[in-house]
Amino acid sequence: MTHQYLELIWYKTLSELRAESAKGYIGFLWWIIEPIIYMGVFFVIFGMVFKKGGEGFVPFLLCGLVAWKWFSSSINNSANSISKKNAGIMSQVYLPKYIFPTINVITNTIKFLVVFAFLLVSLMLAGYMPTMAWLALPVLIGVQFMLVLSLSWLVSSIVPLFPDFRLLLANIMSLLFFCSGVFFDISKVEGTLGFILKLNPVAILLDSYRTILIKGEWPEWNFLAVALCVALVVLWGGSRILRRYDRIYPKVLI
Amino acid sequence: MTEHIMGQHGDLVLRAEDVAVSYRKNAGLFNPKKFWALKDVSFDLFHGETLGVIGGNGAGKSTLLRLLAGIIAPDKGRITHDALNISLLGLSVGFISHLTGRNNAVLSGMLMGMRREEIEGKIDDIIEFAEIGEFIDEPVRSYSSGMRARLGFSVAIQADPDILLIDETLGVGDARFAKKSSRAMRQKIKSNKTIVLVSHSEKMIRRMCDRVVWIDKGVTRREGDTNSIMDEYMESMQ
Repeated sequence: MTHQYLELIWYKTLSELRAESAKGYIGFLWWIIEPIIYMGVFFVIFGMVFKKGGEGFVPFLLCGLVAWKWFSSSINNSANSISKKNAGIMSQVYLPKYIFPTINVITNTIKFLVVFAFLLVSLMLAGYMPTMAWLALPVLIGVQFMLVLSLSWLVSSIVPLFPDFRLLLANIMSLLFFCSGVFFDISKVEGTLGFILKLNPVAILLDSYRTILIKGEWPEWNFLAVALCVALVVLWGGSRILRRYDRIYPKVLI
Repeated sequence: MTEHIMGQHGDLVLRAEDVAVSYRKNAGLFNPKKFWALKDVSFDLFHGETLGVIGGNGAGKSTLLRLLAGIIAPDKGRITHDALNISLLGLSVGFISHLTGRNNAVLSGMLMGMRREEIEGKIDDIIEFAEIGEFIDEPVRSYSSGMRARLGFSVAIQADPDILLIDETLGVGDARFAKKSSRAMRQKIKSNKTIVLVSHSEKMIRRMCDRVVWIDKGVTRREGDTNSIMDEYMESMQ
């Protein structure tokens, strides 16, 4: 049964990606152009308008943005996955509801991997050569995948029950954006505040990407373990809610 | 394997006991109103039979099928069964208009519980039955609504659950294809399959169903032999 659902998740993910690229004239090129525009906006604001950072700020910013975008796009898309968008399917067939946010997460993960590959190439062209520490990247990506998946399950499980949560979510995401050090270095924040910021799993992840890619050093494993634990707890919670309301969601949507 | 779990012809396969289903109306913290689509429904379903469900508009027939398919859970009462899978004959489930007909056929079939290989193996039959031809590799958005419906039906009819739920009131394409599809449906119904059929056609019910459940405003009014219940039902409609 589970194998069947995995097959379905994979096929539907590919179908959605295919449909998305069939929509515009330049198709899947958008997967690359859109992130470039997105990053360009931040570069103009923080790099040129505020003249922040100076030397090495661009790679610093890009590492953070690429990972942040994977995180935020997945969660924003998943928030609406058990909703009108899939109501047609949910009212005609029974499917375990985790399938819907999971498809969104995998779709965004594939887009991330494409952009991330570009980031790696750009970094190498800019003189940041791979070190042994780059071997930690798959682990880091794995941890972030678990975190993205778990929060997507949680968010998607709440929105159909409390539609107002979507409004709250937009603000939570901006708060998280500013607390995660996308455009500043959290390791430079001192004292208790710095420590609290470092307990934020997203901040830990962004910092780890930079440690590996820019400094060429191994990430702090104990902090990554914290992020993974948070992910597992949230995943458990989200799956509990999704299962509890499995056959209630379609009633709310019909 | 199915036979072994489902048992012999005439065995009880599903029992609905005092089932009630409510929907939230005007959902909101300060205005929680419930609308009871089903209030008190009970009936039995036996292996290999075709059970008709009749009742006026808003009697709760569609809700009942969703309930039997396991899509929604009852608020009260219970449904017990020993079938592996029960599913609704859904039309064009999950179609994405920017994808090709072939792609949609596979996706739709998988959503209905078929395996990818299974549908890909039957794709030629699907194309032929749907009379889609070359268009199968064109995006569905270029289809007429009739073509879309034909493809949807042709995929759905391939599914082979232990208990098949059919809502015959859903229209399928033009008049000519409607004949063809209802012939295909009748073939399914006549096979030794366990079927629950919702229909507004008296003729269809009388011809196809072994027994009938009559639901009136969310409550089971009668259950039993097709002809006697249909006579009574038609009389009440006068």
